Amino acid sequence: MINLASRDILHGWGKFVFTGVGLGLLIGVTLTMAGVYRGMVDDARAMIDNAGADLWVVQQDTLGPYAEPSSIHDDVARDLLGQDGVLAAGNVTYLTMQIQRGGKDVRIMLAGVEQGKPGEPAYLVAGRPITRTHYEALADIKTGLALGERIKIHRQQYTVVGLTRRMVSSSGDPMIFVPLKDAQEVQFLKDNDALLNDRTRTAANPAFNRPNVPGLLDAVLASQISSHMVNAVLVHIKTGYNDQIVAEQIRRWKHLQVYTKGQMEEILVAKLIATSSKQIFMFLVILSVVSAAIVAFIIYTMTMNKIREIAVLKLVGAGNRTISGMILQQALGLGFIGFVVGKTSATIWAPLFPKYVLLIPADAILGFILVMLMCSLASIFAIRAALRIDPATAIGG
Amino acid sequence: MTVPAIHIENLTKRYGDGDTAVDALKGVDMTIWPGEVVGLVGPSGSGKSTLLKCLGAVIEPTSGKMQLGGQTIFEGKWKIDDLRTLRRDRIGFVFQAPYLIPFLDVTDNIALLPMLAGVPNTQARIRAKELLQALDVGHRAQAQVSELSGGEQQRVSIARALANHPPIILADEPTAPLDSERALTVVRILNQMAQQYQTAIVVVTHDEKIIPTFKRIYHIRDGRTYEEAGEGRDA
Repeated sequence: MINLASRDILHGWGKFVFTGVGLGLLIGVTLTMAGVYRGMVDDARAMIDNAGADLWVVQQDTLGPYAEPSSIHDDVARDLLGQDGVLAAGNVTYLTMQIQRGGKDVRIMLAGVEQGKPGEPAYLVAGRPITRTHYEALADIKTGLALGERIKIHRQQYTVVGLTRRMVSSSGDPMIFVPLKDAQEVQFLKDNDALLNDRTRTAANPAFNRPNVPGLLDAVLASQISSHMVNAVLVHIKTGYNDQIVAEQIRRWKHLQVYTKGQMEEILVAKLIATSSKQIFMFLVILSVVSAAIVAFIIYTMTMNKIREIAVLKLVGAGNRTISGMILQQALGLGFIGFVVGKTSATIWAPLFPKYVLLIPADAILGFILVMLMCSLASIFAIRAALRIDPATAIGG
Repeated sequence: MTVPAIHIENLTKRYGDGDTAVDALKGVDMTIWPGEVVGLVGPSGSGKSTLLKCLGAVIEPTSGKMQLGGQTIFEGKWKIDDLRTLRRDRIGFVFQAPYLIPFLDVTDNIALLPMLAGVPNTQARIRAKELLQALDVGHRAQAQVSELSGGEQQRVSIARALANHPPIILADEPTAPLDSERALTVVRILNQMAQQYQTAIVVVTHDEKIIPTFKRIYHIRDGRTYEEAGEGRDA
């Protein structure tokens, strides 16, 4: 039996292909939106995985350090080493900020880490780890920084000594790692004017300026220009220990909030990016509905342009199955072309997006099935219209 | 004993109900024998197309009796369930315009019908090519429909009507868009085919050029038929 759908497509292939390309670009946008969502989730997971911690110790009653501000003393890390099951503990600070590079703003997440302790990037793709106590930095390659390049972060110049990959914040901002002390200074130290202002205000306070306590004012002033706060302590636990049990011990004895890796993932994926996910999901739904409407309209129009041919086919004995099959195959053909174009275009333009767009095969397979399903459903209107065509239309009078 | 290809008794067709009802056919009688080409002539609105649609099992008559090849297919109601198969296997159609399928080539336009009837593709295409040869358009077998002239398209549509070797062909003003010479050629072909395949052909027309070529003519006026012997001139 002749395949009527393919013959019709070949006969007007230009129109069909251009329509497919148009639909494909729409499908490409839809696949990209799914990729943006996957990228956000992957960024969140990458941050947790790359931190290499088993537990996150943060300020009590907070979801810190990524989802809420958290501030704890940096000597907590030392205390935690005395807890049963704790192998290593490292102080970390995180600060999302903007730096200048080549006259352009680069949004980054600045992480302060202690050398050789949890919180450092898991691996480097170039260069070496931080070895000096100050003014060296490790940068994610997404920042565009090169080895040896000098960058200004607040008042200090830093030299990039190592490059990492996929070290991004949950918002997709690339990370720059600097020594903890430097990061604390960036995060907590005030500017010169503010310091002078604070000193004047403190000195004017009679409570700190008592004649019989000569060192008090100097001590208070000294405490104001140094910070011993960090955002979190990352903990490695010893092999064979249960993370939940160790976390519970820390909660009980240190009055701090502790999250396991699973809980932190839950916070990042389910809470922090939940609204963005819903936003993207809404876009996906709308794009899918628009795509379906366009396919339905195209197939319907194509069918209505063939009323006479369909009437003749029915008159000469073509069954409903033959007519429906022709329309359905054309809809599926259009969907197939659209999907190929969409997948190709999404693959081409995904790396151009400023944030990570993760196109995974499972989404592509699901997308293909949905496109085919959508095209099948969209063809129903055209099939119904075609089956209503009276074969008598072919005869005049 | 030869059985009539078409036999109709007192066939009526009413469109609508009540005050708006229109009686398009008011008791048509007609008998057409195999191998015969009969003209069905009448002014516009006389009921020609309605009769053709009833004969083609496209619309259901209101009352009367209709037999095709001795089998009663209508008597007050349809007597067979599968009208689509009836049309496919036993009735060929030739339209005023050729209405060929534009996305199929000439051969496949004809071969499609046997294929729909379950004939294997190769065999269907061989049959199509034979018919094209018989109709003198064999050299256009691979051409696209849009490449054919009007006369060639009409020949191909006749070949399509004959593709399943139906005992009946219904032709709805097949010469309307053609000039005199081509119109007479089409009639000649229809006569040849009727003789060759013993097909009964009903030609609906008001084309004065071809009316004298029929040996028998049914005039239809106000929904009734009147039989008349034609001149039967050579086309």
